[in-house]
Amino acid sequence: MSAPRALRDGVVASLVVAPSVFVYGTVFGGLAVQAGLRTIETLGMSLLVFAGAAQFAAVPMLGAGASSLTIVLTTYVINMRHYLMAATLAPAFRGFPRRWVALVAHGINDESFAIAVARRNPPDPWFFIGSVLAVCGSFVAGVLVGTLLGGLVADPARWGLDFAFPAVFLALAVSQLHSRADWLAALVSAVLALGIALVLPGNWHIVITGVGVSTVGALVLDRDAA
Amino acid sequence: MRSDVWIVIGGMALATYLTRAPLMLILARRPLPHRLRLWLRLIPLAVLPALAVPLIVLDHGRLAVSTTHPPLWGAAVVLVLAACRVNLLVTVAVAVGVVALVRALG
Repeated sequence: MSAPRALRDGVVASLVVAPSVFVYGTVFGGLAVQAGLRTIETLGMSLLVFAGAAQFAAVPMLGAGASSLTIVLTTYVINMRHYLMAATLAPAFRGFPRRWVALVAHGINDESFAIAVARRNPPDPWFFIGSVLAVCGSFVAGVLVGTLLGGLVADPARWGLDFAFPAVFLALAVSQLHSRADWLAALVSAVLALGIALVLPGNWHIVITGVGVSTVGALVLDRDAA
Repeated sequence: MRSDVWIVIGGMALATYLTRAPLMLILARRPLPHRLRLWLRLIPLAVLPALAVPLIVLDHGRLAVSTTHPPLWGAAVVLVLAACRVNLLVTVAVAVGVVALVRALG
């Protein structure tokens, strides 16, 4: 597939999450301003950190005067799942200039990872970049609107918008099930992640399940299964 | 707090970049051995359910398995539509609508 075509396909395929990403951007923008951040700081954080969950965690901590180190460490732990996504995406970018790879890495996010990798693994690099542009654009546009007008939707959950994220992840998980081993891996992951999420806060369930199940699977499965 | 804000943002940006860039740069450089490729292929199979299931089944950190928990209805819709290979956009739109409806009725 040509690069412009794949880029466009990546943008289009990501429109499925764009409305929810945008609305949660407005919510974040509104909360950040309420917590005392300026518009430029809120936008700066959204562009430089570009990690919604960590940003939602950081804003109340900033408002409550938590130490910088605590906030930065919390951010790191929440975002550790990116290591898994980066490893999975990397082979798509073989032969790309290293500066490009360093830039694209900054765009890694749950939604683009899910959408691009579910379509093909390793994904088309330009498809992934298109998805990142769509998700980042929706988020930052939402944040800007939120800082200027306050959160547009007081309670996105009332409109079911919170459910767009698990819906996308679940639908894409189902689309990945081809063999009996796939089913087994997905079911074990679901149960394991749930068990861990019940006892550990934050995103540890994603990190531990991601590393654990894929490692066991790679050791146990037949070489031919790859 | 004022001057600290940019320091915190910078620290958050650096911490986050350290979770994204290193493996991307290292693993993009050379062809990967077979086992490692298999490992990478399995990561989405583990990560996608791990992302989805706790968001659906947990409510503020507690198990919420009852008919009054709207995300379970949404998940049922997603499972049926996804199994029938319905387009992702349609699947998500219907699921979001069902969750909103169940919440409005409940």
